[in-house]
Amino acid sequence: MPFTDIAVALQISFTYFTIIYLTGLGGLFSERSGIVNIGLEGLMIIGTVTGAFGARFFTDTLELGLPWGPILGLLFGALCGAIFAGVHAVATISFRVDHIVSGVVINLVAIGLARFLSSAFFNGQSTQSDPGGPHLDRLDIPFLSSIPGGVDRAFESLSPMVLVAAFMVVPVWYALNRLRWGLRLRSCGENPEATRSLGVSVPLYRYQGVLLSGAFAGLSGAFLASEIIGNWREGQTLGLGFIALAALILSNWNPIRLMFFAWLFGFATAIPLRLNDAPVISALPPQFIRMIPYVVTIVAIAGFVGRVRPPAAAGRAYEGGGGV
Amino acid sequence: MATDGVAAPIAVRSRPAWVEGLVGQLLALLASLGIAVLAGSLLIVAYGENPLEVYSSILDASMGSADGIGYVLAIATPLIFAALAVAVCFKGGLFNIGVEGQYLVAMVTAAWAEIELGFLPGPILVVVVLLAAMLGGMIWAAVPGILKVRTGAHEVVTTIMMNQIAISLVAWAINFPLKFSNAPAGQNVDLRTDQFPEGGLVGDLGQYFGVTPGAHLSWLLFLAIAAAVIVWFMIRRTRLGFEARAVGASPGSAKAGGVSIGRTQLRLFLISGALAGLVGMQQILADRGHLPQNYVVFLGFTGIAVAFLGQNNAIGIIFAAILWGVLSRGEVALQIQSEVPREFIIILQGILILSVVITYQIAKRRLAARQLQRAGAAGELDDSAGPDDEAGPRGPEMKGREAFEAAEGSGT
Repeated sequence: MPFTDIAVALQISFTYFTIIYLTGLGGLFSERSGIVNIGLEGLMIIGTVTGAFGARFFTDTLELGLPWGPILGLLFGALCGAIFAGVHAVATISFRVDHIVSGVVINLVAIGLARFLSSAFFNGQSTQSDPGGPHLDRLDIPFLSSIPGGVDRAFESLSPMVLVAAFMVVPVWYALNRLRWGLRLRSCGENPEATRSLGVSVPLYRYQGVLLSGAFAGLSGAFLASEIIGNWREGQTLGLGFIALAALILSNWNPIRLMFFAWLFGFATAIPLRLNDAPVISALPPQFIRMIPYVVTIVAIAGFVGRVRPPAAAGRAYEGGGGV
Repeated sequence: MATDGVAAPIAVRSRPAWVEGLVGQLLALLASLGIAVLAGSLLIVAYGENPLEVYSSILDASMGSADGIGYVLAIATPLIFAALAVAVCFKGGLFNIGVEGQYLVAMVTAAWAEIELGFLPGPILVVVVLLAAMLGGMIWAAVPGILKVRTGAHEVVTTIMMNQIAISLVAWAINFPLKFSNAPAGQNVDLRTDQFPEGGLVGDLGQYFGVTPGAHLSWLLFLAIAAAVIVWFMIRRTRLGFEARAVGASPGSAKAGGVSIGRTQLRLFLISGALAGLVGMQQILADRGHLPQNYVVFLGFTGIAVAFLGQNNAIGIIFAAILWGVLSRGEVALQIQSEVPREFIIILQGILILSVVITYQIAKRRLAARQLQRAGAAGELDDSAGPDDEAGPRGPEMKGREAFEAAEGSGT
């Protein structure tokens, strides 16, 4: 097996890492504030359709060109993801609907809403947009992309968003562990009653957590549609929102460990695409490799390896004010 | 305060709890239907059409002819199975979002039985295939069920993962062991299983009612209704149903009453899986006659929506599934004669389901609060602590909620 194949698989894994990590961070903010969010896939779907539209709209219709068009497109996807996450926030925080129920509804409604938006955005095409949308210029990572012997391929022509996602861990970790805001957000997810007794508005922080989850998942979806694929297609998220959820659980809701699992699952997703001829792998049907992230997660949840400890108050209805 | 003076008006006011519950549910359902219709009307007006005309064309397309009704019932058939599967688990306090994966796996086991046991005579083959489907669903449901009971792994997370694994499993099955044997060489244009034997398909029901064969209305509709009746009976009239409701309402009390929580939950999961196994049968046994690559997905998740709509009541689910079918079939009307895009229907269903979960939640809280308040007034709970600090314009409601909290706290 040529060495470059591994390098190319690595390069693909960086792309998947970006998608899984951004979405996982979204879930992290929401669940750390105490709201379980299994609607990540649906939020991503909204990000894909609005991101693909935004990239075209800002670049071509408003003639902003590169790089501002695609950047605003990504931000538009994040904004729409946050708005749609508002539905989950209102249902779970203000109306105290069961978090799982609301999350399922989010996933269900997202598919219909995406078709609806698509036919409004793209001249009645309800399941895809025209291919070849604008995207940011590809980037070669300095130094790493000049390693000889094929390794360089892994670090060549990546979307700048890959770097953005990789460095996102710094502000996220700092905000959650060093800022008053992050400590309060986390305490809402661990012990809302105690948090309230300190004069902190639990619903306010939970709203912020859920809206952030929508923004990150939406950004991730927009990245997938406009930066990687180049157009919107129904079903293009391929369950990556659920993989992100799996990575989040395995990381114990920790942004640094989440990086590792996001990359690992990204690599697992890249294997059937590029390393089909490798020894051992060639003997396995590609479908079995796709199952790996989910099987690993089930094994971990069942407590066979390590311990999974979600935020203590996640999923529990909080009765202390702010409701309807 | 004299208890006599308080108790008398209460006796007049109090209706049986189930009547009150039913009235609350109906009001909540009507309210959410109203919200959905109203929001839909705004959307229709935004497209420059007359809401009355659009709604009546939707109803006409789905209820205006025998064919329309046939299509509606064919859409409702798998949804009844899916919603029942969800509801059975719900009764025991379990959330089976794995119906999606369970029916996918069941389609594979059913397809396998069709192809491997195709030599069996017609009716026997159909029965065997349906059993194989139920078994497939049960196997897929057993994994999260056993893990829940043995290790405490939350069934929501495990079933989400099982759903994703099931998708890959179906892809593997139609790529390898069950691959179409007469596939044209080279490209896999037609990725699917072999066509099932004619005798292994479920007979057309529509022909007796003048429904076009295109609707694929099948005998499975009767099986779905029978399943609903059986589930209703099981929940209401059997020991397992009683234990399930006890576990769902209060695991602590159920355990104290001698109910084995783990065994009850595992049984519910298996029953749920068996029901989920039948979800895909309308598609492969009545509609397609093989397991295609582009099989219909999301029936399991839609089943969750239908279960909410039917308030987890087996009989309510039948009507909820039909309502869902009416809306889905209404797409045809929009496609033919309206400026409104057909995706409007999905939006309408989305708004309906969102308002249903929210209004049911409000109704449930109001009801619990009122019952507790009454219990308090009757002297079982001291509710006379004087005016509350937070009692603003919503005073009485807050009081009720706090009584609810107090009871919830003491119940666990």
